[in-house]
Amino acid sequence: MSAPRRPASALAASAVAANAVAATVVLIAIATLSGCALENPSIRRLPPDTPAADNQAAIQRADERAATARQAAEREAAQAAQARQAAQAGSESPDAVIPLTAADAPSMYSYDPWARLNRSIYRFNARFDAAIFLPVADTYDRLPPPLRHGVRNFFSNLYEPNSALNYLLQWRPATGLRSVGRFVVNTTLGIGGLFDVAAHLRLANPLTGFSVTLARWGLHPGPYLVIPLLGPSTLRDGVGQLADYGVSYGINLADLYRGYQSWALGTLNAVNQRAGNNFRYYSSGSPFEYETIRFLYVHRELIEDAALHARSPPRPPDPGKAAGE
Amino acid sequence: MKNTTALIACSAWLWCCSPASGETPAVPAPGPVPVAAPGPATGLADSAALRATVYGTPPRDIAPLPASVPLQQIDIALPWARPVPAVFWFDRRLRVWFSAQHKPAPLAVVISGTGSDGNTANLALLRAVLYRDGYHVLTMPSPTFPDFIVAASSTGVAGDLLQDSRDLYSALRQIVAHLPHRVRITDIDILGYSLGGANAAVVKSIAAADGALRIHRAVMINPPVSLFASMERLDQLFAQSIGSGDAGVERLYAKLYARLANVYRTPDQIAVGDSEVLAAATTVLRSDQEFAAAIALNFRIALMNVFFAGDLYAGTGVVIDPRHPPRVGDSLEEITRELRSKPFSEYFSRVFAPYYLAHRPGSTLQSLQADNRLDIIGAQLARDPDYYVQTNSDDLILNPPELAWLRSTLGSRIAMYDHGGHLGNLGDRQQVSDMLAMLAGRWNQAP
Repeated sequence: MSAPRRPASALAASAVAANAVAATVVLIAIATLSGCALENPSIRRLPPDTPAADNQAAIQRADERAATARQAAEREAAQAAQARQAAQAGSESPDAVIPLTAADAPSMYSYDPWARLNRSIYRFNARFDAAIFLPVADTYDRLPPPLRHGVRNFFSNLYEPNSALNYLLQWRPATGLRSVGRFVVNTTLGIGGLFDVAAHLRLANPLTGFSVTLARWGLHPGPYLVIPLLGPSTLRDGVGQLADYGVSYGINLADLYRGYQSWALGTLNAVNQRAGNNFRYYSSGSPFEYETIRFLYVHRELIEDAALHARSPPRPPDPGKAAGE
Repeated sequence: MKNTTALIACSAWLWCCSPASGETPAVPAPGPVPVAAPGPATGLADSAALRATVYGTPPRDIAPLPASVPLQQIDIALPWARPVPAVFWFDRRLRVWFSAQHKPAPLAVVISGTGSDGNTANLALLRAVLYRDGYHVLTMPSPTFPDFIVAASSTGVAGDLLQDSRDLYSALRQIVAHLPHRVRITDIDILGYSLGGANAAVVKSIAAADGALRIHRAVMINPPVSLFASMERLDQLFAQSIGSGDAGVERLYAKLYARLANVYRTPDQIAVGDSEVLAAATTVLRSDQEFAAAIALNFRIALMNVFFAGDLYAGTGVVIDPRHPPRVGDSLEEITRELRSKPFSEYFSRVFAPYYLAHRPGSTLQSLQADNRLDIIGAQLARDPDYYVQTNSDDLILNPPELAWLRSTLGSRIAMYDHGGHLGNLGDRQQVSDMLAMLAGRWNQAP
């Protein structure tokens, strides 16, 4: 009689233990988030500055920018000449890019109907970042660079099939094929995507996703949206991201998107991305940070949209409407 | 994926046309650097000075840098801070950055420029060269940075040279006392750029009077001589290049938006790099007026924070109703719109002066103005051989009489460069080698 009871009580005990562990974790998380676990002063070791390498990179960037600026100026001059010729001939080439004027600029104000919710999520993100996300990312940042690059390449490679699909949906099958090529090369020669061999074979290709596809199809960014843990976004970007995840989930490469391994990988990917990003919440110290970041995010997206539709005449902005509305 | 890269882009843009923070320049200054004509080439319309101010030192001209600098972030709550208003919940503690040598070494304290935090690109540059030269380095925000105003100011109304420097000095004492025990400090020197330069000099004089902390040498980099005159000059730059009121800002925005979008609408721009769009923003500035606008706007953005905090703490009710201060999560959109069109003179007349006239018995508008000149420590600057200054003859925050005052007061302890505008040569080989010589007491230049 007592024999079968023992496992049951052991089970109950382990369930209690598991619950206690979970409760402790939650309590620590709450305590950290509310700030009562902080000593004064708190001294936190950061990843070291790398001034020499940073300056080297700045030199390279400056050279690239200078080259781009030169090309842009030449192109602009050629375009202007072309436009003059076209005007003289009385015809217009259908392929010509239509330059925007100041009158085409959308409103300075961003469409943010969910502002109250967004603000509280932004605040939550800032607290989560300071208490948990950043300390973890800083620790991760001390791992040897080759290891971190491997992780980064691995996750980029996982996005490649989704990129290929979206290039197809954007009606750019040739670029999509490059994505397929990259995926095949990196998964095989690059040992499961740990090494970006394709880039060395001059087979570089930026990743794309549903958000860009939707933009290409003419969808507006829509309302500004702050996503828990991920940060600033718009409705279109949010939907796009969900769809991107859906595709990866559907493909379920090597069964990575099911069960425990999906949680482990998801966490690793989040840390990998946070470590590669030097944005710090409230480093501006400013009470207007929410407004500033929203402006920058939404308007950057609108500029990208304008670039995607370079050959169609700009839609005149409605003066009464906020950008993205 | 996109969110995170977007944030990098955002932070890049936030500081990219910011002379006070000196993000590494987006493009090198076009053509060979023109050397200013002999004599001070001061004037708001000096083309080369405006460009140098926006672009900063070309990365190729930067002094030798170390491969790696260790870094710690110190967050400290200060006992004299005023109660933290709800909207500033994230600024409870003063945040400074510290790089420690592994052996006993002198400590270099570096103070940031107007409205900037303790880890700007300019500070990172100074930290790197100082660390390479054997200093422990402590970088601190400007007393006009919101985090300092909230966590370390005893008034909440920033901009008073003496009061701000007193608060800085008190904060510095606390921080030095709390540095890790293994850090062995042999001597303390202090530096600062822009407004931080003036702060640094005043902090040294306060320390000399107080005696609790001995500060050896002070180097001011591109300091103002009269705070309010410099700020009014920046207001003037704003009015000239952008126009008064919010309409000017909107016009500037629309123009730059279209120009930036056109860069990305060009035919063979296949894919727009996520982080590229906003980082390219400085490359679309063209005329002197636009460069001036970028500088003026950057200063105005810093002023907006100071104005907001001052109005809130002093209860002067200019943009914030003292009976109903904004709560966490309230929209500040209307307030930003109002503040964008408010110049420094309005901060002075409606927030700063009412507060200090009430709290400093016997003061007048004239005395408040006069108290905010480097003259208040003029005697020490002239007598004490441990004060140094580095400036440019085309620095747009100084006029010829102010430059002449610096020259006559500091005598041979001034390094004056022909070109660089405001901070546009910070970190270049000459500036750095002179700065290190000054700090080591090796500087002697015939006047």
